[in-house]
Amino acid sequence: MTAISRRRKTGCAAWINQENVAGYVFSLPFIIGFLMFMVIPMALSLYYSFCRYDIQNPPVWTGLENLLTIFTDDPTFRKSLLVTCYYALIGTPLKVVFALIIALILNHESKAVPIYRATYYLPSIIGGSVAVAILWRRMFESTGTVNAMLGKLLPFLKGYNWFSEGPAIWVLIILTVWQFGSSMLIFLSALKQIPRELYEAAHVDGVNGRQRFFKVTLPLLTPTIFFNLVQQTINSFLAFTQCKLITNGDPRKSTLFYTVYQYNKAFPAVGKSQMGYASALAWIMLVIITVVTALLFWSRSKWVYDD
Amino acid sequence: MKKALLVALALLMALSLASSAMADGLEVGTYDPAAAGDYVFSFAWWGNQVRDEVTKNAADYFTQNYPNITFNLNAQSWNNYWALMSTNAANNDLPDVMQQDYAYIEQWVEAGDLLDLTPYVESGALDLSSMPQNIIDTGKVGDGLYAICCAVNAPAMLYNKTLTDSLGIEVPMNITWDEFAEISRTIYAETGVGAIYGDGNSENPLTYYVRSLGYTPLWDENGLVATAEEMAGYYARLIDGVNEGWLFDTDKLAGVNTNDLAQYPLVYGSSNEVRCWCALAFSNQIAAYQKAATADGIELGISTWPSLNPVQSNYMKPGQFFAVTTDTRNPDLAVAFLNYLMNDVQGNIILRAERGVPPCTDVASAIADEVSKADATYPMSVEYLAFVGDGNCSPIFPPLPSYAGTAQTEVIQMLAEECLLKGTDMTAEKAGEMAVEMIQKIAANN
Repeated sequence: MTAISRRRKTGCAAWINQENVAGYVFSLPFIIGFLMFMVIPMALSLYYSFCRYDIQNPPVWTGLENLLTIFTDDPTFRKSLLVTCYYALIGTPLKVVFALIIALILNHESKAVPIYRATYYLPSIIGGSVAVAILWRRMFESTGTVNAMLGKLLPFLKGYNWFSEGPAIWVLIILTVWQFGSSMLIFLSALKQIPRELYEAAHVDGVNGRQRFFKVTLPLLTPTIFFNLVQQTINSFLAFTQCKLITNGDPRKSTLFYTVYQYNKAFPAVGKSQMGYASALAWIMLVIITVVTALLFWSRSKWVYDD
Repeated sequence: MKKALLVALALLMALSLASSAMADGLEVGTYDPAAAGDYVFSFAWWGNQVRDEVTKNAADYFTQNYPNITFNLNAQSWNNYWALMSTNAANNDLPDVMQQDYAYIEQWVEAGDLLDLTPYVESGALDLSSMPQNIIDTGKVGDGLYAICCAVNAPAMLYNKTLTDSLGIEVPMNITWDEFAEISRTIYAETGVGAIYGDGNSENPLTYYVRSLGYTPLWDENGLVATAEEMAGYYARLIDGVNEGWLFDTDKLAGVNTNDLAQYPLVYGSSNEVRCWCALAFSNQIAAYQKAATADGIELGISTWPSLNPVQSNYMKPGQFFAVTTDTRNPDLAVAFLNYLMNDVQGNIILRAERGVPPCTDVASAIADEVSKADATYPMSVEYLAFVGDGNCSPIFPPLPSYAGTAQTEVIQMLAEECLLKGTDMTAEKAGEMAVEMIQKIAANN
C-alpha cells in the first residue's frame, strides 16, 4: 500500500510540483499584470507614436511625422513643457525643504508627536484624489476660505482671483507642497538612524545648535534628501489630477501640465482623438524624465555624503 | 497542456463566431418581453441634473412593461461624454442606445457605429407617423436613417429678469449687438455684474455671427467661409467688451465654472464681480438654469442671441437625437425603447420635455398641460420656439466637417483667450487672419 501511494507522480502532477514551475505559477499574477498593463501597452504606444491614429479607425503609419510636428510646429508642446518644468523645479525643492523642516520639528520625544505625524501624513494619503482637487478649487475661489482668512489680515486680498494668469500655477504648487507627508516620514526615519555618538562628540567639542545641524545632521541626511528629490521630481513631471480638475490648463495654458496636454490630445472633449500624437508626447516625456533623473544621479557624487 | 490549449482556442473561436453571427443577424423583428431573457440595457446621454433625474425615471417606467430588463444608465457632462463614447467605440462597447448631436451624426455613421433604422420604420416597430418629415430627415445620412430627433429647440439667451426689471431695463426679442452691448454697459455700471460672450467653449457664437453676414455654415471642407476682415468684426467685439470692462476677460473666466450649468455665473456666485447677467444657451436649457436660479430668488427671461441680423442668424435646431449603436446585442429591444421614448405619452410626461419640445406633434400636444404643471418654464420655451419658428429664423447649417472639433480646441478657443485677455497685444485684424489661416491648415491636413 505504502509503495503505491509513494509511487512517483507522473505527467501533469509531477510537472506542476517542480520547484521552479511552482515559482512561476505563484508569480503568474504579477507576470500577467506586468505584460498586460505595462509591456504590451508600452509596445503599442511606441508603435502608435509613429502613426496617425484616432482610435476609431486603424492606425496609419506616418513615420516621424508626429515627432517633427511636435518639435517644429507645436507651441502648446513647448508651453506645457515649460509649465511642467517650472512646477517640478520650484515645487519639488520647496516640498522637500518643507518636509525636512517639519520632520526636524517632529523629531522629539513627546507623547503628542505620533498624533502630529499622522495628521501631517494625512494630506499625502488623500493627496492625488479628485475630492482634494475639488476642495482646493473651492478654497481658492474668489470668495473661498483662503480669501476669507487672508482677507482679515491683508484687506487688499479681498476678492483676489487666484485663478488668473500668474497666481494660478502657485495654487497647484501650494497643493503639492502641502502633500509633504511621505517625504516627511522618510526624513523622520533617517533622523532616527543618525548615531547618537556623533551628537555627543559634537557636544564635547562645544558646537552650537546651528553648527550641529549643518555639520552633522544635514550631511548625514543627504542620501535621504537625494532619494526624496529623485522620487518627487519624477512625481511632479507626471502630475495630472490636480491640474486637470483645478485649472484644466486655464487661463491661456499658463497651468497646462504636460500630462494634461497629452490627455487632451488623446481624449479631446470635442473632435477626433489624436492617440498617435499623444503616444509620441508620452515617449518624449519618458526621455525627459530619464535625462533629468540621470542628471540628478550624476550630481550625486558632488553633494551626497556616503559612508 | 497542448490539448487544453487547443480546446480553449476552439471554444474561443466558436464563441467569437457565435457573437459575430448574432451581430450580423440583423433580422428585423419586434421585441417580445414575455419570450425574452434577462438583459442589461445600457443607455448613455449628456445633460444636467434635471435631465439625469427625469431620464432615470423614464427608464424606470419602461421597466414596468419590460420587467426582465435592468438598465445600465450613463449620464455625463457634455465635455466628458464624447471622449468616453469614442473610447467605448474603439472597444466596440458602445451603449445600446446613445444620445447624439446633430453636428456629429455624420462622423459617427462614417465610422460605422450607428445602426440604420429604416427597416424598423418600415416594419412599424418604430412609429414616426406623427413626426414631420423634415425633422425625420435631419437624422438621415445618405439613404439611411441613423438617428431620431427627440427634441426641437433654438439658441436662446437666458437672462436675469429679476436684475433687469430692478434696473428698469427691457430686453427686446431679436436683440441687436448694439442693444446688447448697451444693456451690458448699463448693468455693469450700475451693479458690477458682467456678461460672458465668445469665451471659446464652443464655436456657436461665432457661427451665429457669421450667419448674420449672410453665410449659412461657419465652415466647409476647406476651412472658414468668412474672410479675415469679416472674422475681425467678431474679434473686435471681444476686445472692445473687455476694454470697456463689462465682458468677462480670460482671467475672470478662469475663476468661474462655465462648464457646469448649475455653477454658471448667471445662476451661481457669491458676489456681483463673479456674476453675469445672461447666458447664451439653448431654449431647452431654461428648465435646468431656472432650477439653479430659484435658490437665489432669480427669475429668468428668454430672448434671442445678440446679432447684427437676428432673423438671419437664428435657426431651429433639431436638439438631441437618439441612435441605436452597432454594438447592441439586442437591436429589437433597442428599437422598442426608442419607440417608447418617441411615442409614449406617459413616458414623455415623465421626461418633462426637458430635452426640448417633442417633435411628434400628437405627443407634444398630449403632454403640454401635465408638463406645464410640473415645470413652469415649459410654456416659455414653447412660446419662444413659436416666435422663432414664425419667420424669425433661417435654415440651419449642415452637420459639422470632421476637423471642426480640432479647429475648435486649437484655434477658436486659443484666439478667444487671446482676444479676451486684459491689455492684449492681439488686434482684431490679426485674430481674423490667424483664424482663417490656421483653420484652413487644419482642414487641409484632415
